[in-house]
Amino acid sequence: MPALRARGRLLRSQHRFAAVSLTPIMLYMMGFTLLPMVWAVVITLFRYSPTREGVFLGLGGGNPFVGLRNYLDIFSSSINGQLFRLSLKNTFIFALLVLPLNLAITLPLAVLIETVHHRLKTVFRTIYFLPTVTSLVAVSLVWGVIYNPTFGLLNLALRAVGLKGMPWLSDPKTTVLGIPLPMICLIVTYVWQDMGYNLVIFIAGLQGIPEVFHEAARVDGANSWQRFWHITVPLLRSTLTFVIVMTMLSSWQVFVIFYVMTRGGPGNLTRTLVLHIYETAFRHQEMGLAATVAMALFAIIMLTTLLQMRLLRREWEY
Amino acid sequence: MDTVQQISPALRRRARSGLRPFVVRALVYLLLTAGCVVTLVPFLWMLGTSLKSSTEIIRLPPTLIPEQPTLQSFRTIFEDPRVPLERFFLNSTAVSVSVVALVLFTSSLAGFVFAKYQFFGKDLLFTLILATMMIPFQVTMIPMYLILVRLHLTDSLWGLVVPGATSAFGIFLMKQFIEGIPAELIDAARIDGASEFGIYTRIVLPQMGPALATLGIFQFMGTWNDYLWPLIVITTTERRTLPIMLTWYNSQHGARHDLSMAAATLVILPILIVYFLFQRWIVQGITLTGFK
Repeated sequence: MPALRARGRLLRSQHRFAAVSLTPIMLYMMGFTLLPMVWAVVITLFRYSPTREGVFLGLGGGNPFVGLRNYLDIFSSSINGQLFRLSLKNTFIFALLVLPLNLAITLPLAVLIETVHHRLKTVFRTIYFLPTVTSLVAVSLVWGVIYNPTFGLLNLALRAVGLKGMPWLSDPKTTVLGIPLPMICLIVTYVWQDMGYNLVIFIAGLQGIPEVFHEAARVDGANSWQRFWHITVPLLRSTLTFVIVMTMLSSWQVFVIFYVMTRGGPGNLTRTLVLHIYETAFRHQEMGLAATVAMALFAIIMLTTLLQMRLLRREWEY
Repeated sequence: MDTVQQISPALRRRARSGLRPFVVRALVYLLLTAGCVVTLVPFLWMLGTSLKSSTEIIRLPPTLIPEQPTLQSFRTIFEDPRVPLERFFLNSTAVSVSVVALVLFTSSLAGFVFAKYQFFGKDLLFTLILATMMIPFQVTMIPMYLILVRLHLTDSLWGLVVPGATSAFGIFLMKQFIEGIPAELIDAARIDGASEFGIYTRIVLPQMGPALATLGIFQFMGTWNDYLWPLIVITTTERRTLPIMLTWYNSQHGARHDLSMAAATLVILPILIVYFLFQRWIVQGITLTGFK
């Protein structure tokens, strides 16, 4: 009996410890995630600006309840609707181009790095990863100077080989395959900055593939190209799924390089969703509307994740 | 050939060595080196530009490499009274260190409880934490700002620390690691009379070195480089962090490329030092967690 009582006391003190340490942390955390999430949904139903007086929590009064009008607004032909759809389109173009470009560079690069000597492998990986650890703002500033029409490195190089320079980030007319030149420039910068991350993940994935598979294929007479497509790629599938989802998600949420390098210009050609949310909420102080756009972004992110998971899972079942 | 291949990889390699593999190898190195050049050129351009004098920077056509390298631009930004650089550096350090300390504490404690204790609703609670990881920051940033307004924490460094004190990802990561600590170890400590909190500080934490380092480094780099949140919260110049200060020479006072690149160099430098010091952990951390 005393043993049982002691056991009970022990369990009680364990429970107390768990409750006492976890409760404040959980409450705190929910206060900064779930509460804002709910609040975000609530203010989408109001014409809300912190500059106007409200009745309760800033809502009501000068910030009237408008029902679903904010949601209708972003799909209407109003200026808000047009800006939203333009930002959506720009972000879409950006995300859809970044993904294949990134994969087309990082996967082969990872395979090549895997073939070199161990020492050199570390050196290459270190160098390729440098842009990724660098502050995004600094990266944006450096590339802004590189693209500068008068003093930039790019035009300096072009003029050196007898070509004409371009106003890379401010040219509203030039397009490549229908995509505005400033957008292309931002994509290049983004991929340059972001690829180290995927590269490291791919290298780790490649190291997880047992050498015997390659050996076996080599014995069967498969060349390196066949080995890449029929062994490396299928065995990397889970890594690939992960990389694709992460790359997509982070490119939907892109902000810093666009804010620093172009501010969405010229003529809103590089206005992205997050930039649009930021401008609407904190420059024009229309937070109800901005929160509505944020909900759209949330929906897109959720859909992307689900869709990619579903698509790639189906392929696994072969 | 076939028998050679089956005998040993080393023998096989020798058997295969000829001109073609050599050419392929050379091509691989050439390609990888070219990639490195592309990766490094922007950094070199930044460094080169920051070392140009104020007269060289506006010369046309621009020079590729500074003709008379000078630290003038660095001196200018250090002595500029409108931009108290050491202030920003201090702000960034204070915010990043506080956030890292808080996140390490809350994540390891919560992770410990989730890993080693049984209680009602545990799985549900943990799923909730995982679910919050799916909410993008851009969705919650507007209400988060409104909460800070109510708490009177806007335009203060506290506004950068307070919302970042917990991390769903951190709890997840810590739980994964702590689950690996054998239950016998914890029970033994209990029999020896250790309190539950004593078990956390004296048994769990000492074993968490690598995990804490990984989480700490990522949290530090994330907070140090954060741009959007400080941009929203901070309005007074003296309270800005380094990344916000960076854009000063670019936007408000006419683009001074030499100054802007010198500032960029100064911001990148500490991060690079951290990177080279902790490279192994950073790479390991990414591959382990997929965290950015």
